[in-house]
Amino acid sequence: MIAGLIGASLIFAIFFDSNIRQVQILYDDDMNMIGAAPFNPSLMFPMGTDALGYDTSMKVLQGAKFTLISVIAIGLLRVCTAFLFAIPLAMYTPDRLRKSLEQLLSSFYFVPLTIVAVFILTPVLWEQLRMPGWEEYFLYSYKARVGIEILVLTLLVVPLLGSLIANLIVSALKEDFIEGAKVLGASKWRVFSKHIMPHVLPNLVIVFCQQCVQVLVIFIHLGYFKLFFGGTDVDYNPYVADPPLSTTNEWSGLIGDYYNLLHANPAIALGPIIMFGICIYAFQLMAEGFQRHLDTRNVMGMKKRKIHQNGYADSPRINFEFLYKRGDYIDKKL
Amino acid sequence: MKIAKKLLMQLLLTFLSIILISGLPELIMNKNVSAYFEKVKTVFIEMLRFNEMTYLNQGIKRPFLEDIWEPYFYSLTILFGALFIAFCFAQVLTWGTLMLPNFLRRIIKNILTFLESLPDLLVFALVQMGIVLIYKKTGVLVSNVASLGAEDRIYIVPITCLMLLPFVYFYKMMILMTEEEMGKQYVETSLAKGMKRLYVLVFHVTRNTSEGIFHFSKSVLWFMISNLLLVEIIFNIHGITHYMYHDFRPEMLAACLILLVIPFFLIFALFEWTIMRYSKRSEAL
Repeated sequence: MIAGLIGASLIFAIFFDSNIRQVQILYDDDMNMIGAAPFNPSLMFPMGTDALGYDTSMKVLQGAKFTLISVIAIGLLRVCTAFLFAIPLAMYTPDRLRKSLEQLLSSFYFVPLTIVAVFILTPVLWEQLRMPGWEEYFLYSYKARVGIEILVLTLLVVPLLGSLIANLIVSALKEDFIEGAKVLGASKWRVFSKHIMPHVLPNLVIVFCQQCVQVLVIFIHLGYFKLFFGGTDVDYNPYVADPPLSTTNEWSGLIGDYYNLLHANPAIALGPIIMFGICIYAFQLMAEGFQRHLDTRNVMGMKKRKIHQNGYADSPRINFEFLYKRGDYIDKKL
Repeated sequence: MKIAKKLLMQLLLTFLSIILISGLPELIMNKNVSAYFEKVKTVFIEMLRFNEMTYLNQGIKRPFLEDIWEPYFYSLTILFGALFIAFCFAQVLTWGTLMLPNFLRRIIKNILTFLESLPDLLVFALVQMGIVLIYKKTGVLVSNVASLGAEDRIYIVPITCLMLLPFVYFYKMMILMTEEEMGKQYVETSLAKGMKRLYVLVFHVTRNTSEGIFHFSKSVLWFMISNLLLVEIIFNIHGITHYMYHDFRPEMLAACLILLVIPFFLIFALFEWTIMRYSKRSEAL
């Protein structure tokens, strides 16, 4: 039961572990004559090196902290804002109004997130060119860029997530014990804090994990469109323009940088994507492990109680001999 | 009639939200709220004069409506083909899986969790590489890996790419829901009556899970439209997102999104209507 949970969190812990190990930036610039720069994956370079000889796995590890921390931050923000949004929706709006609001919000199902995110974030993250002086500049400072990206990625899902969480709360409100609590004179706040919260909170953890997965997927997409977390450094040199660079080594930047090398050397391109895959898998395992824990938590308790009950139930049955005798009788007759 | 009114409302609201979103880059670029509303207004007016819209094709202005239909239907074919195939495969395989013993099912579920977490870009890359590899080994070109221009159409590869992940999602969801449904009492009753397991599965359980699957398919579709953009760009397909991405104006985005939304909206409305009718009738019985 908890094995899934522990496994998932272990995978996750390894990431944070490697994060700490990573703070000193390591470049593996290979100057030997053994081979030329793009190395294939080997023991020395777990994911190979890119064309300039930088060790991909080191780059990945260096970028991990930006990507993972921002993913978790966005995931948390999403769940929190959606939860705040859901409380009045579930507790204070009458049923019919809520249903029609839900209909309204479900129109967001038809607005694909990646397209909209690409569309909105392009002016923010893409380095601009001011024509007279060939000046490259960003519209916003670094912190503002990160802030806006987090904000946009959060707000775009709040309507959908909000109605989802509101549904969770409403289904908890329909339980029998809420009725009981109300009859006993519990105020709305007490019903919410003492009865609803313990019910909804574990579910929120699962929702949080799912949201993290979604954010990771969006980062991949944004990376493919060369919109990197924290800004894309575009080279407007008219002669030999460098490809757009990520300002930090975070993962979506690595994907954007390397994906087009897929045809030249698959090892380079696949490394960061596989890391993304591992992360997504870890989050999914966390969600699943937690779900299993929730499902079996009550059952485990029940089993113990049942054993006790059996202990009581067994003793009177021994006194009740009629059945046994009759069984014997039938047996003999046969 | 009431339903039709509600749906119409929802459709209009969807349009409205699309238009409002399409104005957002203006707000961010100019940091000015009045400019944003100005932009929203122009987009709105542009939408009303839909048939006069123009777009830039290599610097030349061309009427939008004349050129959009073919790539539009091409994109729709890919999208619907992928959705349909994914759904059918998942359904058939679910029936198959539910006949298996319990421990095998658990293994399959674990594998599915793993597959579910593959990033879509990785799937596309693997499909591309797989085709190249097959070609290298056997000399058989399964399909063109990339489309070469507007006239050249490829179907198999993009549909496979788009299909794989939704298939996994559907499959997993169906297994979970069906297993939950199998624990219910009517299944036990019918099994006890001597009905075959497969019969109960196909005719009774599937009907009851269909509503949940339908709601789930909305979010799958949401995910697929995003993927369509990626697929069309990776495989250089001349589809509707081509217009969206290359002419990066709010009007264009709004028009393309609205065009994409309409067929899905209609289909979902149809399904919802059938399900509602169906469940109402069974309640009456």
